[in-house]
Amino acid sequence: MVDNAFYPMHDSHNSSDSREPTTLDEVVAAIKSCHESDSAIYPVGGGTGLAYGTPPAREGVRIDLKHLNRLIDYPSRDMTVTVEAGMTFQSLADLLKTNQQQIPLDVPQPDQATLGGVIATNVSGARRYGYGTMRDYLIGVQAVDARGDLFKGGGRVVKNVAGYDFCKLLTGSLGTLGIITQATFKLKPISRTSILMACPLADWELADRLLERTVHSETTPTAVEIVCGGAWRETPGLQLLWERTSPAEGLLILGLEGTDEEVAWMRARIRREWKDAGVPWSEEITDQAPDLWRSLAQFQVDDECPLILKISCVPSAVTTLAQSVLQLDADCSLQIHAGDGVLVARMSEFPEAGLAKTVLASLVPLANQNGGNVVVLSNPSGRDMTHQSVWGGIGTRFDVMTRVKQQFDPDGRLNPGRFVYLGGL
Amino acid sequence: MTTEAILSALPPLRELLGVERVLSAASDLMVYECDGFVIEKNSPDIVVFPESAEDVAEIVKICRGAEVSFIPRGAGTSLAGGCLPIGGGVMIVMTRMKQILEINIRDRYAVVEPGVVNVWLTQALKGTGYHYAPDPSSQGACTIGGNVATNSGGPHTLKYGVTVNHVLGLEGVMADGSIVRFGGPAPDPPGLDLTGSVVGSEGTLLIVTKVWVRLTRDPQGCRTLLGVFDAVEDAANSISEIIAAGIVPAALEMMDNGIIQALEQAFQFGFPLDAQAVLLIEVDGLQAGLDTQRDEIIQLCEQCGAREVRIAADERERMKIWKCRKQAFGAIGRLSPSFCTQDGVVPRTKLPHLLGRIAEIGEKYGIQIVNIFHAGDGNVHPILLFDEREPEQVRKVLDASWEILDECLDCGGSVTGEHGIGIEKLSFMNKMFTTTDLATMGRFRDAFNPDNVLSPDKMLPTAGACGAEQIHPGRRAAL
Repeated sequence: MVDNAFYPMHDSHNSSDSREPTTLDEVVAAIKSCHESDSAIYPVGGGTGLAYGTPPAREGVRIDLKHLNRLIDYPSRDMTVTVEAGMTFQSLADLLKTNQQQIPLDVPQPDQATLGGVIATNVSGARRYGYGTMRDYLIGVQAVDARGDLFKGGGRVVKNVAGYDFCKLLTGSLGTLGIITQATFKLKPISRTSILMACPLADWELADRLLERTVHSETTPTAVEIVCGGAWRETPGLQLLWERTSPAEGLLILGLEGTDEEVAWMRARIRREWKDAGVPWSEEITDQAPDLWRSLAQFQVDDECPLILKISCVPSAVTTLAQSVLQLDADCSLQIHAGDGVLVARMSEFPEAGLAKTVLASLVPLANQNGGNVVVLSNPSGRDMTHQSVWGGIGTRFDVMTRVKQQFDPDGRLNPGRFVYLGGL
Repeated sequence: MTTEAILSALPPLRELLGVERVLSAASDLMVYECDGFVIEKNSPDIVVFPESAEDVAEIVKICRGAEVSFIPRGAGTSLAGGCLPIGGGVMIVMTRMKQILEINIRDRYAVVEPGVVNVWLTQALKGTGYHYAPDPSSQGACTIGGNVATNSGGPHTLKYGVTVNHVLGLEGVMADGSIVRFGGPAPDPPGLDLTGSVVGSEGTLLIVTKVWVRLTRDPQGCRTLLGVFDAVEDAANSISEIIAAGIVPAALEMMDNGIIQALEQAFQFGFPLDAQAVLLIEVDGLQAGLDTQRDEIIQLCEQCGAREVRIAADERERMKIWKCRKQAFGAIGRLSPSFCTQDGVVPRTKLPHLLGRIAEIGEKYGIQIVNIFHAGDGNVHPILLFDEREPEQVRKVLDASWEILDECLDCGGSVTGEHGIGIEKLSFMNKMFTTTDLATMGRFRDAFNPDNVLSPDKMLPTAGACGAEQIHPGRRAAL
């Protein structure tokens, strides 16, 4: 065992066995040297997603990508940008903003999170309802596999079907197939106006009625969110609502983006729709909209929270799942991407009975019945972090994924043990 | 693959499917000798028509047992030889799996079998307030299974994305005969995005037997404009200006003079015959913003030198414009006995340069080339007119096509935006990708299809063929 070897969980940043490549060649050299010494490799970007995944199978070398952070090409009139993977999301967002352009993803801790890390963890947030997720924006990717071989997929044009789509394959692959070194994104214009509207949900039945109405509404919100629990009490823009709402209730929040005319029309229409549905009053968040958007993006950050779960299901089942989570832990806080069918639950404590008797026994079957699953986003206690409890049970599809992994990394060197593969790869 | 192998597969296939769902007579097989890419032809040895995933799995197992290769086919509308049976073998035609299994508006998805024709789903969704966004020009004939295999685009991809952006999950049969499922109606399944990776894999990874697709809210309204230009370059500049202004039209299509002439003969729409380029621009979304966007577009086009900008007065006029666009290929039949549609992509700011080069290349080879394409995406479709009975013309068409595609690569683009590599563009893979890229792709295929028995020798150049001069597209591959 190597002294000071890197172990990619919370306490690991002091490892001396660390490489900080500044060029592509140095990345390749670092991986090749690991290949020669048969060391495991743990790629790290901004370190904001290290809590996600099963614990590593063995110690190894940390490869820190944050110095590989140059802009390669930004033809703004083509609405694409190519950057090295270690650039932070915020640096790129600032650059794109000079041309009123964006990658419309909600990334927590954007000033630390690197683009490579955002791709590898497939982070998404509130605006996925209107804009989709990383797979809809990554159009070209370059990576280095476990042997040190550089490979790419896609290209720099917005439409391209030549060869296998490695952009999709690497998105969400948690650094297990290759270290992402460069990425090309397609961009969207920044909307001229962006506001949010919120109303209290007296009960889950009302929530269902309003969500159903949203599906058939002629309005086009970019976010359809439900939030509830103590973590939201101090959120900018929502204080007035909470003063008049009991803590047991949640809030429905809609994000409205577009031209001034579009947003004004939607706002009037939603006010009327909500009134017709029996909503007593609602709030429009305009000046504080940027702060509220930020809070919505930050909710999933793993600071101090004893357990964060991500639950997926068909959108019509989110209220059922929410009630089930609240039964397990009445003091938890929830953010529900209700239009998409994703719940992020910050639990108030790690369950006494362990994950198997709580999450796996009640939530996973219910999520499965509704087409989805449960994964652990963060569990600082490290307890019960088995393959089954972290990835929501074992399905046959993991066999095929394991075969893919074996093709890219036969010796299980890249992030071993950390992802869904069978046999500890 | 020997004749004995083929013969040994025939009785079990007939036993499984019945005689009427197995074709083996030469006259029956001729229909399947090519798809929309007519330059290369080769008949399969047997054609079968499964009606369920279980049928497909059994067919695959029989083929494995007999050591015969197999290839799936939808409606055969591929323009790149995507369903050409290289070396023969068994062709699995999916058109009898044509049920729309579920439409769920509340959860915004539908489940369809692969043989469902794209437009059937559009029709089934009429009145629900939702639609399936990918609408390739061949949508009246092409199947959703085929769209998945090629990651089809269409005129509305600029705003709405291509097929992969609308596929949530897949069920399919692997090369070993096992039935697998990736993804489904709920978001973010744990693990790798194999759904996204299979879309566009041209039938080399999986025979898709069921597709979960995302449904998209119908826009509240739209405005359809026709910009008429005296110079192609002015039209191309307008495209860049519109996009740079932060407007994302639902469609932004360009037609050049050659196409305008053909369309006018066919549909008498009233296009000015002397116009050098016409832009079809459609913005959609909330009514509240549309007039402002329309006016901005008109202003931008005029600033770039548009002779006039017409507005579709009503839905009838709009449908007529779109009919012209989507049936343009039919109209081309009036210009020439045969045509070859190319499919290249460049960054959209390079369009003026590329269109100029296409005209030069046409002149150089003495081939008439007309253009109708997805300008907003930078996705060109130069259509090369020729007579396939004249070998010299075929040769020139191929040379001119290759030169155009090389130019796309030189501009930092791609040799295919939506038609696929098929067999037509195999020789370009070495230009777009390094040996390591291709080796990695080969390894990825091996995870699904290790013996290369499913759609053999498609999409990836086979070992040993690298770098060799190709005399005829796919000819070597077909041998």
